[in-house]
Amino acid sequence: MVPVSHVLALSVILFGLGAAGFIVRRNIITIFMCIELMLNAVNLAFIAFSRYLGDPDGQIFVFFVIVVAAAEAAMGLAIIIAVQRNRQTLSIDDLDSMKL
Amino acid sequence: MITVQASDFIRILPQEILSAFAILVMVFEPFLPSSRKVVLGWFSLLGVVAAGAAAVRTSYSLGPAFNASIAADPFSIYFIALFLLVAALCLLGSFNYLQRDNINHGEFYALILMGTVGMCFMAASTELIMIFLGLEISSLSTYVLAGFKRHDGLSNEASLKYFLLGSFATAFFLYGIAFVYGLTGTTNLMTLSERLSRTGTGGTPLLWVAIVLMFIGLGFKVSTAPFHVWTPDVYQGAPAPVTAFLSVGPKAAAFAVILRIFLGAFHAVGSVSFQMLWLSAILTMVVGNLAALWQSNVKRLLAYSAIAHAGYVLVGIAAGSAEGVSAVLFYLTVYALMNVGAFILIAPIAGTGERALRVEDYTGLGYTRPGVAACLTVFMLSLGGIPTTAGFLGKFYLFRAAIHAHLIGLVIVAVLTSVVSVYYYLRLVVVMYMREGQPQATSEPLPLALRVALATSVIGIFVLGLFPLLLKKKGEAEASPRHTKLAQVR
Amino acid sequence: MQFFHNHILSIILFTPLLGLVVLLFIPGEKKDAVRWWGNIAMFAGFLVSLPLVFWFNSEAPDQQFKFIERTDWIPSIGAQYFLGIDGISFLLIMLTTVLGFLSVLSSWTAIQERMKEYYAMFLLLQAGMLGVFMSLDFFLFYVFWEVMLVPMYFIIGVWGGPRKLYAAIKFFLYTLAGSVLMLLGILTLYFRYHTDTGIYTFNVLTLMQHGWPANLQFWVFWAFMVGFAIKVPMFPFHTWLPDAHVEAPTAGSVILAGVLLKMGTYGFVRFSLPLLPQASASPAIVKVMVTLSIIAIIYGALVSMMQRDMKKLIAYSSVSHLGFCTLGIFALNPHGLSGSVLQQINHGISTGALFLIVGLIYERRHTREIKELSGLSNVMPVYATLFMIVMLSSIGLPLLNGFIGEFTILQGAFEVTWHWAAWAVVGIVLGAAYMLWLYQRTMFGTCDNPKNQILKDLNLREIVTLVPLVIWAFWIGLYPKPFFHVLEKPVAAIVQRVNPSFYAAAPAVSAAIPAGTPIPAAPAEPSSGPTNPAPGVAH
Repeated sequence: MVPVSHVLALSVILFGLGAAGFIVRRNIITIFMCIELMLNAVNLAFIAFSRYLGDPDGQIFVFFVIVVAAAEAAMGLAIIIAVQRNRQTLSIDDLDSMKL
Repeated sequence: MITVQASDFIRILPQEILSAFAILVMVFEPFLPSSRKVVLGWFSLLGVVAAGAAAVRTSYSLGPAFNASIAADPFSIYFIALFLLVAALCLLGSFNYLQRDNINHGEFYALILMGTVGMCFMAASTELIMIFLGLEISSLSTYVLAGFKRHDGLSNEASLKYFLLGSFATAFFLYGIAFVYGLTGTTNLMTLSERLSRTGTGGTPLLWVAIVLMFIGLGFKVSTAPFHVWTPDVYQGAPAPVTAFLSVGPKAAAFAVILRIFLGAFHAVGSVSFQMLWLSAILTMVVGNLAALWQSNVKRLLAYSAIAHAGYVLVGIAAGSAEGVSAVLFYLTVYALMNVGAFILIAPIAGTGERALRVEDYTGLGYTRPGVAACLTVFMLSLGGIPTTAGFLGKFYLFRAAIHAHLIGLVIVAVLTSVVSVYYYLRLVVVMYMREGQPQATSEPLPLALRVALATSVIGIFVLGLFPLLLKKKGEAEASPRHTKLAQVR
Repeated sequence: MQFFHNHILSIILFTPLLGLVVLLFIPGEKKDAVRWWGNIAMFAGFLVSLPLVFWFNSEAPDQQFKFIERTDWIPSIGAQYFLGIDGISFLLIMLTTVLGFLSVLSSWTAIQERMKEYYAMFLLLQAGMLGVFMSLDFFLFYVFWEVMLVPMYFIIGVWGGPRKLYAAIKFFLYTLAGSVLMLLGILTLYFRYHTDTGIYTFNVLTLMQHGWPANLQFWVFWAFMVGFAIKVPMFPFHTWLPDAHVEAPTAGSVILAGVLLKMGTYGFVRFSLPLLPQASASPAIVKVMVTLSIIAIIYGALVSMMQRDMKKLIAYSSVSHLGFCTLGIFALNPHGLSGSVLQQINHGISTGALFLIVGLIYERRHTREIKELSGLSNVMPVYATLFMIVMLSSIGLPLLNGFIGEFTILQGAFEVTWHWAAWAVVGIVLGAAYMLWLYQRTMFGTCDNPKNQILKDLNLREIVTLVPLVIWAFWIGLYPKPFFHVLEKPVAAIVQRVNPSFYAAAPAVSAAIPAGTPIPAAPAEPSSGPTNPAPGVAH
């Protein structure tokens, strides 16, 4: 059996990768995928804890998170499409029309 | 064993009514010609009023609901009333705006209502996953609202930035929840509080990490420095009535959550929360106020001012006492009145497509549109904290609570930065009254709905400024010691 | 009548506000109605304050504060609606109502634009100023103190001269910075009182009864000092004053010089001295305050001499005259204090009148440059006559009010040490020089500028704005006794508190202190130890 700390470590790594990608990457879709990665890191943590505690609640939370992530994905892609239509770009660096 | 009782549904009656109205708005939407969409607006307003009446009903049957995941307590009723007020003011401020800018779709009203539902759940939930769901309901609605001008590049950009950073922050918040769950085996705030106090104060480093993660998530929502970077862009790009909604609603809701979590559940590990709050309060006040000095766009200026005000509220929270909580509750209402008032007033001044948004565009407004300018002056003076306006008393209460908690340094920073803030608030007043010239701002007469909203805000500001006890008594009752154990630990 | 008598202060305070509310319902286009109503409301404000004159001496003769009104306002923080006056505030209130009316009357033709807003601002300002002089609750006091800033800011910023923006913002930020420091001082006392007694109160009289530890007094004194000194303005804080005065419209300058500046000196007399007696009487603070006062007297006079703009000249002369007032206060004896309060009234009368006079000529010639004006006495004899009386009152000629005030202050200063009096006398001499020189350059000589030759003399309304001040100047100059009588008790109470040794050693005191030790409080120091139980509590 894999100890809980290993799973948690993986979760932390995934979350870190997601957060780093969010900051480093320039393509909006990639940035968005990074957020998804972070959410899935959270799911992994929930499952690991659930199993460690022997408590099914954690796994139920994962379903909540998946549903919310799905709603977010729908919303996010719609917004990204609107931006793409108006701006013809998917690079975050081009979206700077409101700087001082 | 989970049981559901009839009383559970009464305890979330306002949320139910709002949701029902939101769904009905969506149902009716396709059947109305676009010239008649404002009917849906008035219908939504009716929904808000009905929810207000429901909140009164709920206040007579207080107690936990749905297996203690939601609480109908004075605290949540206070916040629900505040959100309904904000929603009503924003609705009144948006009717004319939507017609004028040709974005007159009924979904707008439904989204405002759904956003309000989410905020109400945030304030009422006593369970972390419920709080997360409330947060998401309100966030998803406001992401769309920010981009409601579908064909406007700025609005798109605002929406995208709000969405990306908002989701990013939510992930942090959620990760924090996961850690708390793993460490304590519960996500219920009451149980959490008991378990944490049983294991003694201080907590483990992992718990501190969880607290910090959750604070980062909420910090984004209330736009505390250094998590405020999205705020100016989003506030500037979003349609003005939406900005009014954004700048108060989700922020107040997130503060409600902060109060519940950091002063309630985590009181056992108070010192970490306290240091975090202290540091971010100072950063927020300094960054917000200094950055506002250099803004030439009115919306950005008010955005930085909104950041600064989040800092003042954090001062009250850092005090960690019942007095501090009651001051925060009072201040949030005051802040709602003046900030919503200012943002919905920007819309008619800026004209179609929000063109006149620079400070210079307000030149001479005091003479071409005396009423508008007078209202804006009241909002500015109140934001700046000049006596007889509620802004002064609000700050006074916050700082008094902080002094009682011996946070002298924090109060000195707060007082100094709020003196600085008067300079940029006065800039608007100066250009309106003291510069000669033709204003770029438009001069169409204000619609009735907007007048009602403005009159409510202005009268509210003066009434609360002169007779604060009308509201303050309520706030004190709400600040039950259950939420405020931070002070005892420190 | 009984109601009127019991609530006289509230009635005086709210009459301008009532006028303001009615004014808001008069449409702005009806300029005559607006103008008449503005004047009527201000005159009504003066009329309702008149009964004070008849009632003051007979009312509650054994109490320090009279006409007290008191109700809870915000009980949870201990703020009260607490009004009451003694002789000092009584005189200042009368000055405010008189000058308020006269300054509004003087704007009859001068203000043609945005008239409704103008009168609204004056009515609001009037209420704020009256509130400052009446409040015996620190919170209420602070509210009025700040409220009054806003209308004054608008008066300078909207109806002012070419550099009005700069002047208005400078005025606002200077004063705001000072008052926030003052607020910190007030809060320090407020919280300290709570720590010591468990009661929250802003009640000034209660706070005065408390024995404050010496080092606390010291810090709070400086916080107050900055707030008040900016308002006065004392020497290093005075730079906002010339800008504000030069840019403000005539009536604004009159009120600014006549009443607003007095709030600073009033603050010292009413709050700093009795609340913080040990700090106020400590040698270091007295030395600093007196030095700054003397610098202000001489520096203000010297700078006045250099001015080419009449208004700026008078503005700097205010710095000099207010220097006398602060000098009198920190002489810490009855002569100094009562002279100082009287001089505050005098300054209100004479400088107010001087600004009116400058305003009259500005309205005609649209310039205040001294070199543009000469020989005006030939074309405007009435104007020249009134100007002369006012000018003589300002430089302190016997028979006129300035003499009485300055003489009493000098007497007070002399009782402490002759050095102070000697320096102050230099200021008087310089004052006479620049005022006479101003008068000579503008009124005498030949009237060769064609623009000046066609000037009209004063009309009836303009004479009416000046004559009451001239009469008042003669009254104080010829028969000052009623004024000193009114001041006697409150001044004695303050001196008793801040400088008890004065009465202990009574007449011998001035002789007992050798020249060169300019500290009246020096003998008080050892005695203040046992009388004050607080130092033990301090730590």
